[in-house]
Amino acid sequence: MCARTQAAETGSEKQTATIRLDGLTKRYGEIIANDDVSFEVRPGEIFGYLGPNGAGKTTTIRLLLGLIKPTSGSAEVLGADVRDRRALTEAKAEVGYLPDELGFEERLTGRQVLDYFARMRGDERREELLDLFRPPLDRPVETYSSGNRRMLGIVQAFMHDPELVIMDEPTSGLDPLKQDRMHAFVAEERDAGKTIFFSSHVLSEVQHVCDRVGIVREGKLVALENIDDLLERGGKRVRVQFPEPVDEDRFGTSEMIDVETVDRTVRFTYTGEPATLLEHLVQFRIEDVDVGDPKLDDIFKHYYGDDGDAEAG
Amino acid sequence: MLVVVFALLSALYFSMFPGIQEEMEAFEEAFPAFMFDLFGIEELHTIEGFIAAEIYSFFWVLLLGVYFAYVGAGLIASDVEDRRMDLTLSNPVSRESVVLQKAAALWVPLVALNVGVAVIVYLGALAIGESFDPVALAMVHLLSVPYLLVCAGIGIVLSVVIERARTARAVALSLVVLLWLIDGVSRLDDDYEWIGAATPSRYYEETDILVHEEYAFLDAGILLVAFLVLLAAAVVVFTRRDV
Repeated sequence: MCARTQAAETGSEKQTATIRLDGLTKRYGEIIANDDVSFEVRPGEIFGYLGPNGAGKTTTIRLLLGLIKPTSGSAEVLGADVRDRRALTEAKAEVGYLPDELGFEERLTGRQVLDYFARMRGDERREELLDLFRPPLDRPVETYSSGNRRMLGIVQAFMHDPELVIMDEPTSGLDPLKQDRMHAFVAEERDAGKTIFFSSHVLSEVQHVCDRVGIVREGKLVALENIDDLLERGGKRVRVQFPEPVDEDRFGTSEMIDVETVDRTVRFTYTGEPATLLEHLVQFRIEDVDVGDPKLDDIFKHYYGDDGDAEAG
Repeated sequence: MLVVVFALLSALYFSMFPGIQEEMEAFEEAFPAFMFDLFGIEELHTIEGFIAAEIYSFFWVLLLGVYFAYVGAGLIASDVEDRRMDLTLSNPVSRESVVLQKAAALWVPLVALNVGVAVIVYLGALAIGESFDPVALAMVHLLSVPYLLVCAGIGIVLSVVIERARTARAVALSLVVLLWLIDGVSRLDDDYEWIGAATPSRYYEETDILVHEEYAFLDAGILLVAFLVLLAAAVVVFTRRDV
């Protein structure tokens, strides 16, 4: 009796997951683009899919959309098995997709492109979105900057008011102001009940926007984290220039990884709290400081090890 | 664009015809018969024979066949290559309907060329004081549609099989030229004529239509079936592959 109840619960959970991956694997000959990837995206969350370029994020997305077929394993999108073409096609009426590379019909104007997509799936929110994101609709897409292309992509992904939007590197090509607008917009959409699958290689962006994060390296899912846990695993790429050569042993701390010293300049990735870093730096005479986003792979190596296994803590 | 090219070519031929009508009779005697067989040329000294030879047997059957094969070969492959197919297939549309809609878009150049060139040729003939049987002229265009569709169908199949659009186009174009050559060369010898039965141009005889007013509806039907088979093959391949 107890076992039956449990089975029933698992069954209902299965229906509520917006996206579910179960051992999803895609091989291209010897290359394993996705290796036994399993996770779930719950309704109404922004799920970050974080990994360095080439980690297999786009492959996962293309598997979810049925553009490519899994070598083994399966996945469901809005209850439709990705291997069931008919069911998946129907489910796509409630899916928006913002690809990493936006392939539009170059000779059409932005407006014609939107009209084309509207014929296939509707556009009840088009005008509202065009107030926020404003690509030059009357010009042909071939004249667009990468930012304008991205904005046209955002409008087409959301204009039919889908339940789920899958975004692949959605802020690439956008200037910082538009990136902020995009992040705020995504959060509003989540609050209004949408589910967002947010793929990115920018750690700070995912930390800022997402509720839960799946971390992917070399085709494997190495961790599923709540955002609070990920926030602790931050990092900054720092370059410090001193007026004279500095003793690395005196300057270095355990939070610094990948430290490189060239003459009077020290470069390192800082994995501790930003405030602690600043407190540390003011103890030294410093000519110049540069703090930026770290290379994701360095951070991942630090937290999740070289072999892809997550370290404790 | 293509209609304009054909208009200019037709104008050129019509302006030539009165001057060379008599020479053509000599021309027919001067050249060995196999030359005419190769191109399916007959009765060059009549307006029908001349137009059949000059416009239809070469420009229509070969160049336009190549053009449709080229366009067909780009239909799917170029969209996949430029990632347009990703966005298209993110819509609630089946892969079958994507291929069929792409193929349906071929009606635009097909109708524009057939209507445009038919009108130009008819008016051109009137302009130089020759008369042209309008039924035969309509037929030469109507019956060319299945032939051009088969050429496009060859392109579409290659478009779903070959990953790169440039390669697909090159192969499609070469294949159509090759088939046309096989048809032409196999006609030279009765013993080998059967080889050409597998070539699409064997089922479209522009000279028979214009000169003899023989309309081979059965052959056109065979071409139409061939086109549908090619299209079905393309659909089956495309629904099974990764994009």
